[in-house]
Amino acid sequence: MNPLRVAVAVARKDLLSEWRTRELVPALAQFVILALLIGNFGFQVDSRNANVIAPGILWMALVFAGLVAFGRTFAAEREQSSLEAMLMTPASPLAIFAGKAAAAAAMLVLCEAVLLPALALFFGSPISIELITAVLLATVGMSALGVLFAAIVARVRARELLLPLLILPLWIPIVIAGAQAVQSAFGLPGSYDQAIGLLVDFDILFVVLTSLAARFVLDE
Amino acid sequence: MNRYERWAAAAVALLLVAGAAIFFYAPTDYLQGPVQRIFYLHVSSAIAAYGCFAVVLVGGIIYLRIESLAADRFARAGALVGVVFTTVTLVMGMLWAKPIWGTYWTWDARLTSTLVLWIIYAGYLLVRRLAEPGRQAARLAAVVGIFGFIDVPIVHFSVTWWRTQHPGPIVVNDALPPQMLATFLFTLACTLVLAAVLIGIRYRIETLLDERQEVFEPAKVVHTPQPEASR
Amino acid sequence: MSLVVANGIAHRFGNELALAGIDLVLDTGEHMAVLGDNGAGKTTLLRVLATALKPTAGELRIAGLDAFKEKRRLRHYIGYVAHAPGLYPALTAAENLEFFCDLQDMSHSHAIEALDLVGLSAVARRRADQLSRGMQQRLAIARAILHQPRLLVLDEPDASLGSDAADLLATVMRDRTVVLATHDHALANRLCPRTLMLKHGRSHGTPTRLSVVK
Repeated sequence: MNPLRVAVAVARKDLLSEWRTRELVPALAQFVILALLIGNFGFQVDSRNANVIAPGILWMALVFAGLVAFGRTFAAEREQSSLEAMLMTPASPLAIFAGKAAAAAAMLVLCEAVLLPALALFFGSPISIELITAVLLATVGMSALGVLFAAIVARVRARELLLPLLILPLWIPIVIAGAQAVQSAFGLPGSYDQAIGLLVDFDILFVVLTSLAARFVLDE
Repeated sequence: MNRYERWAAAAVALLLVAGAAIFFYAPTDYLQGPVQRIFYLHVSSAIAAYGCFAVVLVGGIIYLRIESLAADRFARAGALVGVVFTTVTLVMGMLWAKPIWGTYWTWDARLTSTLVLWIIYAGYLLVRRLAEPGRQAARLAAVVGIFGFIDVPIVHFSVTWWRTQHPGPIVVNDALPPQMLATFLFTLACTLVLAAVLIGIRYRIETLLDERQEVFEPAKVVHTPQPEASR
Repeated sequence: MSLVVANGIAHRFGNELALAGIDLVLDTGEHMAVLGDNGAGKTTLLRVLATALKPTAGELRIAGLDAFKEKRRLRHYIGYVAHAPGLYPALTAAENLEFFCDLQDMSHSHAIEALDLVGLSAVARRRADQLSRGMQQRLAIARAILHQPRLLVLDEPDASLGSDAADLLATVMRDRTVVLATHDHALANRLCPRTLMLKHGRSHGTPTRLSVVK
């Protein structure tokens, strides 16, 4: 078997399907813009407190968009029972997991590509390499966890309820470190380097753990 | 009395003794007053809750490796008992916090990670209930339990780290005078005994539940010789 | 030599007993039909035979191997068409098959051959959600035979196929060991010399047919 070929095929299939249906990414983009708008009015934002509020809005928007994105990761398979067909092949579950996580991360990154400029536009937040690095690192960990738990709830009832319940406790450390990193990037107190260091540690930990768990979850 | 009733009686008796110690042996705290007595059971519950989660973890790992039904039953029992202890911890914590800190809740490391523990338990129990009963529910729940167990200290650590970035009010924890320490350790021991007894009883219940499903329809198969393939 | 040997296959979903102890033996090249009403346990039995489901009790040996332990090794051996077509709607017919070629590390030429065999070459470039139900069913069958499996497990493949269902299935079933679930008794008689009747998870049958009687 060729795990790399499998992972690439799975990622390509997901991205191709999304490209053709254009259902998810526009919905995510619209969602984050809306979140920013509401944040602007909900928080009485002015030029002085914009930088203080912006990190919170960013992470709220990202987490909720992430929940939507991962809720839909296995939607196509569920609708058509293709998950079973895929798992019935000798393809390695880890490779399938990797492909799905890569595709989901890519879609989340597309969403971030809308979110960050919109944040800059509405809140005057500076877009810097530090900011982008922090968000991308967080995306890695969030995607690994998101796809694994999406797979767990894929064949379970009441998955809209269950997915956030399972994922959020695991995303909390990533959000804490990520929020600190973004705040530091915006000039607020706190150590950027420590936050990034934590994000890297969490990413390594969660990627390893989810990879080990993939074969128990993606197994027919 | 069967042995479960004996265990239960012993656990209750021990707890009554612990209760007596808490109220009559331990001195009243100078700063916090009588409210401080919540602490003995509150912290014991927290430790018992995490201990139950360790049972869920070990049960889950063993189940994933060798699909042992007994391990899965222990995990189920541990989760149910653990969520009870976590709830007790949270409620007692809130009861203690209000008079002492003036607020029911604060996002410090311990409270946050205990809340996270509760949420993870709830998720574990829901997965068990909502997934296809049997093997699938056991496997998926095992994965949830393993991730959850690792997550709680990580959350605790993250919040602690966050506090180093943004120092908040420091809650001073003086060292415990010997009488208080002794009371605490004794209460902790009794609580752990209670947890073990509850898990043991729940394990038995889960075993009976499993068996009742097997007994539901005994399948008897009579082998007849295979007829020839052609008609 | 017996390709499939099943002993005491029983499966319960929670409180519900879907299969109550099925024995069967299938020799290489045999075609067997599984008949029964909805809810009799046909799909559950087929999923067990296809190694898509591990039953709560029973043993299964396929090609001499323990089907539960050697699941991964047996996968290339078995082709399975489930109740639902299991296709990706936004992908074309060809892309659907090519994806499964990628999953099984096979060259894409197999996809073209399979499309040919089921008569879908003309619509290779059409999106799967724009195919008729019958064409989708053919595509699902094509996907199941992509890797030239020796054992084919088909769950009501005729459900959406038209009048030429029997011909298509006969072609696909040739030189393979087949378990076929269907409601269509006439089709079953035409394609399969052996039948297994299921009722409430138990097998029934007149003595002239394969039977395990409770």
